[in-house]
Amino acid sequence: MKKKILVVEDEKALCLLYKEVLTEDGYDVTTVPGAEAALEAMAKERFDLIVTDIRMPGPSGIDLVTRVLCRQPDIPVIINTAYQSYKNDFQTWAADAYVVKSSSLEELKSKIKELIERPHVPTQKRPD
Amino acid sequence: MIEIINFGGQDFEKDASKELMLLSFISQSFVQPFSLEDNLLAILSALTSGSGLGFNRAMLFLVEGPILRGRMWLGPRSTEEALYIWQTLSKPGVGYAEIIEHNRSLLNRPEDDLSRRVRRLAYDLSGGPERIPSLAAVRRNIILVRDAGHEPFLDEEFRDIIGQDEFLCIPLLSRDGVMGEVILDNAITRAAIEPRDVKLASLCGLVAGNVIALSRMHRRVTDMERMAAMGELAAFITHELRNPLAAVGGFLEQMADPRATDRKKKRNLRIIRGEVKRLEDILYKVAHISRVDMAQPPPCDLEPIVRSILSEPDVRRKKRQRTIVLEVEPGLPPVLCDPVYVAGVARNLVDNALDVSPEGGTVRVRCVHLQAERSVLLSVEDSGPGIPPAVQDRIFTPFFSTKENGLGLGLLFVKRVMEACGGRVEWEGGEGRGSVFKLYFPAGGKTGET
Repeated sequence: MKKKILVVEDEKALCLLYKEVLTEDGYDVTTVPGAEAALEAMAKERFDLIVTDIRMPGPSGIDLVTRVLCRQPDIPVIINTAYQSYKNDFQTWAADAYVVKSSSLEELKSKIKELIERPHVPTQKRPD
Repeated sequence: MIEIINFGGQDFEKDASKELMLLSFISQSFVQPFSLEDNLLAILSALTSGSGLGFNRAMLFLVEGPILRGRMWLGPRSTEEALYIWQTLSKPGVGYAEIIEHNRSLLNRPEDDLSRRVRRLAYDLSGGPERIPSLAAVRRNIILVRDAGHEPFLDEEFRDIIGQDEFLCIPLLSRDGVMGEVILDNAITRAAIEPRDVKLASLCGLVAGNVIALSRMHRRVTDMERMAAMGELAAFITHELRNPLAAVGGFLEQMADPRATDRKKKRNLRIIRGEVKRLEDILYKVAHISRVDMAQPPPCDLEPIVRSILSEPDVRRKKRQRTIVLEVEPGLPPVLCDPVYVAGVARNLVDNALDVSPEGGTVRVRCVHLQAERSVLLSVEDSGPGIPPAVQDRIFTPFFSTKENGLGLGLLFVKRVMEACGGRVEWEGGEGRGSVFKLYFPAGGKTGET
């Protein structure tokens, strides 16, 4: 069965690109334009991995990481952003990986592969 | 009845006490533009001017790292020159400003060999031999040399340059340490240096030390602000460029795949072209925000510019399902602003208004002549959600935007243009109701006049 990836990205062109490239890599990809839409999608189905931008209209990707950790602490999250500087922000450290957007998708693809294939370790749900 | 007196507009009488003269001289130096050179010149002038302390010559050293380095030497080079200068400066009507200007011209003479000689001198304060004059800076004490010919601690080169038996070394102290040193003498009049002169000169030294410290701190803060602004700009540009570059790189990679169909390649090309256009727009906006240059703009007519903007393809595309109402007062005078900038600011405001107005909404553009204040008002009113109070004071801040893909430079550009042409920008509105942006252009003569 295909692994499910949720891509949270407000740039339309990048949404299309990630969907196509990751689908070709054998994943089932859903794209949403913001954090609120991501939480709605997560309420409907279970994903194996989340890739999120930081700066988006509405709640930021960092807010999303915090809320995802409360709901599904065992789901790997990759922050995929154009900002190098947020790497120093401790709030982003809760994510499993931090990838700076570039003209090559290799780093993002390899992080996805590494995290999605990582043996699943069930964790307790954190209190809301 | 009231009497209005200008600050620093009067000089004290020639017979006022030296303390009062000195205070007057130095106080006035601080109303001048904040420049270290000017302030130092003012202090040296106070020390050497007949209106101030009245030493004949003042030599200035500044501390640069561990080195005490000679910077300038103010004073006449000969008795004849001294007599001429003192006669000139003691004429009625010659005050603070004239003395400073005169001294500036003395220092800027190409043949100013006094300063040239002192600039050769440099002393190591961090463990070099203890020699006069640097000893005063090292020990942080005033040193009065009475007999230079028999002074064992005196640096030989310095002895040759100053050529006097009696001189006074004043370290320039501040809270940050020693900033420099001043050496004073009476090479022309040969008058003995009195204890009262030493006291007053030491006070001058304290003022000078703190002026230098303050000026250096000011420069450091300015540099840090510039660096911070550059860092902010660099981070912003990096971010703005990365998104389109990621798209361009990704779609190109897809095209390089031999399995890519022609249809996909065509689509990718279209996307890449759009992203490249976006990159160009970003660079254009960043490049133009920093230089709004408008020297004596010719009068131009507002109405045709506004009408032309409303018919531009981008505006027409955006205004679908929105209404634009244009009201122009007949007989509108031309405005004094470069037409390219007029178009730029009008386009920015109309663009913003269309972006924030919902489908079915209305954008009102009005051009009105405000005769009383000799200006022409261009107002653009949207029917958007308004500007939340939390961000109202940031709307003209660089890189701040409430729009999804906004660069946060548009309103800053509008503000810069309006300031450059002598007009102003205002806005009205709040959360939950539309906003009105008002541009007040200065009204000019007839178009075509130069």
